Amino acid sequence: MLNKVTNHEVDRRLLLKGAAAGGLGIAGATMLAGCAGGGTGPISFGARTVDESPTIQLKGLVDAYVAKTGNEVTYNATESNAFQNNLSQYLQGTPDDCFQWMAGYRMQFFASQDLLVDISDVWDEIGDQYNESYKIASTGLDGKQYFVPQSWYPWGLHFRKSMMAEIGMNPEDIYNWDDFMAALEELKGQGLIGLASADKGGWEAMGTFDILNARINGYQFHVDLLGGREKWTDDRVKDVFAHWEKLLPYMNTNVLDLEWDGAMQLLLQRQAGFFFNGSWFGGNFLEQSQEDYDDLMIVPFPEINPDHGRDTVDAPIDGFCVAKNGSNNDGGKDLIKFAGDMEGVQAMLDTGIPMTSANNGQDRSSYDAFQTQQLAVMNEAKYITQFLDRDTRPDFAGPIVGPAFQGWFKDPTSVDSMLESLQSQWDALPAL
Amino acid sequence: MSTTAAEKKTSRRRRTFSGRDKLTLGLFIGLPTFLHVALVWFPALATIYLSFTYWTGIHIEDIQWSGLANYQNIFFETPRFWEAVKVNVVWLLWFGAIATPLGILLAYQIDREIRGHKFYQSAYYLPVVLSMAVIGIIWNFLLRPDGFVNGLLGLPISEAVSFFGDDRYNLWVILIMASWRHIGYIMLLYLAGLKAIDATLREAAAIDGATEWETFRKVIFPAMQPVNIIVIVITIIESIRAFDMVYIIYGGRGGLPILGVLVFENIAGEGASMKGAAYAVILFLLSIVPIIAYLQQQFREDVR
Repeated sequence: MLNKVTNHEVDRRLLLKGAAAGGLGIAGATMLAGCAGGGTGPISFGARTVDESPTIQLKGLVDAYVAKTGNEVTYNATESNAFQNNLSQYLQGTPDDCFQWMAGYRMQFFASQDLLVDISDVWDEIGDQYNESYKIASTGLDGKQYFVPQSWYPWGLHFRKSMMAEIGMNPEDIYNWDDFMAALEELKGQGLIGLASADKGGWEAMGTFDILNARINGYQFHVDLLGGREKWTDDRVKDVFAHWEKLLPYMNTNVLDLEWDGAMQLLLQRQAGFFFNGSWFGGNFLEQSQEDYDDLMIVPFPEINPDHGRDTVDAPIDGFCVAKNGSNNDGGKDLIKFAGDMEGVQAMLDTGIPMTSANNGQDRSSYDAFQTQQLAVMNEAKYITQFLDRDTRPDFAGPIVGPAFQGWFKDPTSVDSMLESLQSQWDALPAL
Repeated sequence: MSTTAAEKKTSRRRRTFSGRDKLTLGLFIGLPTFLHVALVWFPALATIYLSFTYWTGIHIEDIQWSGLANYQNIFFETPRFWEAVKVNVVWLLWFGAIATPLGILLAYQIDREIRGHKFYQSAYYLPVVLSMAVIGIIWNFLLRPDGFVNGLLGLPISEAVSFFGDDRYNLWVILIMASWRHIGYIMLLYLAGLKAIDATLREAAAIDGATEWETFRKVIFPAMQPVNIIVIVITIIESIRAFDMVYIIYGGRGGLPILGVLVFENIAGEGASMKGAAYAVILFLLSIVPIIAYLQQQFREDVR
């Protein structure tokens, strides 16, 4: 990867390409000059959600942009799984000018395939509103920016304050593994599910793996494992599953029949004490009622190995990209610049849908209690990871790790053969 | 003599094609041929070629020859492939031994005009007009943890019967769902064939004192040969290419492994690799080879 960036070998073909690109650049510049002053022509925006709350939020953003610039924007929404499955084809066909996507490896892959527009100039304008870490997360392997962050959320243990008060448990006091096991045992004694879990979608359980691996073996090992520099057959990985197995008796038995929102229902309906998930589902609680939302709270996953404390958290960043094959790249850039600028962020916040923006301009004192606690969970961590399927090769995460974890849920004693199989499947992957 | 006659014949025949005829023929043969080659043969051959390469599916120039690596990976490194083969085989056996014979039995009973046959006919035919995807959606509503059946049983989500997640039930639940449609489909095909059978055949058999079962086995069934071939081919194809219903229920990532889903998992989305193409080729061979073998044997028998 590094080679790619530093290799400045110049050959004839590259020069020709450069010349062609330069020519295009000049043409683009003249076109831009022609456009200056007027609108940029119709823009299409691709949302990767059809859920109620995020749709309200994104429409708020688009409406504010239209009101400000007078540009025409079409809003196209696709259900998120379908959107992800089709993304390659979508970007090669006639994509929307800008679309909702995720930071990290998943963005870098498409950027290096030349399917995203370099938006470094957008970062020149709005970059000072963001911390350096967000810029790094928005940067492709070639050192240019391809992504504008919208929001972040931590993965942690979610619970209902009122439920915990009734039981007389204080989740803030759950600091380490023993505390956690004791709490789960107590919940079980009350006839409740300790830890609501889901893995029907094949990705939900990856969050639990991430946090257990980071807690037990530390950030560096986790990153190295996902990067292929450590082996899945390592005893340290087995230890992760040994811990995970201890959690199984406290989970609902139909993990493989529930998707994340099914497990969320268990918390919403007060059947489960804890739900380990990304905090994005706050909006779903708010859809139920303000009361449910106010009752929601999060604590970090407990410490397991004192060497690593609670120093790592999965905190994926969602945001926007501009598709190179879109018909209006300048319009797409203009729209995501607005989305990244505090003005656009404010428009999204004004919809009343809870959001923790990546933008420094969002007044942290305006955070509600749940958001403040999300920030605290983030701040306690020294290392931020994205998520298993955003931190490793997509042809490994989706078709290989997902089904392997599902198989483990069916038969936890199969851990050794599962890990051997994971490693041999990793080894069989083509070089990138 | 004979050669000149033949020449005359051909030349005469040739002359009978006017320019307009040629144009019409050209259009009628050329256009479908072109479409067939472009839409069936080209993608099929391209898939076979790509199954021997590494490619992310984006830039043509990134295609790298990999030899048999994808196949090695599937056969030796991917336990999920063998799980999927097992499921597809069970599916085929189920369809072959239970669903298809049931369809034939129903067709026979309805053809005998048992009481209420009109009602049965409509009831069993109803699912056939629905696509497998729609059937998946309907049954998912019924059987998911917060669905109708678990609601009827009074089970909360946490204690719900795991119809799709638990290995004890999921395959059988899916097979019953698929049979729900398959039985009606086979019934319809068979019924059409039965209606075309000469009633005198039955009469003759009855006069000769054949029992109902003997009549079916020795008279009706052999007379139905063309329909039987279609039914067998359809049973094989439907069981091996099964995809849509499972995809609807499990969302195309993980879940019950079947070959169709493995193709999709490995070729769609960000994880695209030509392992998916290799799965597609395997699936193609699995469905085409038994069918060709079967048809060849049938035609040989017919010639004899």
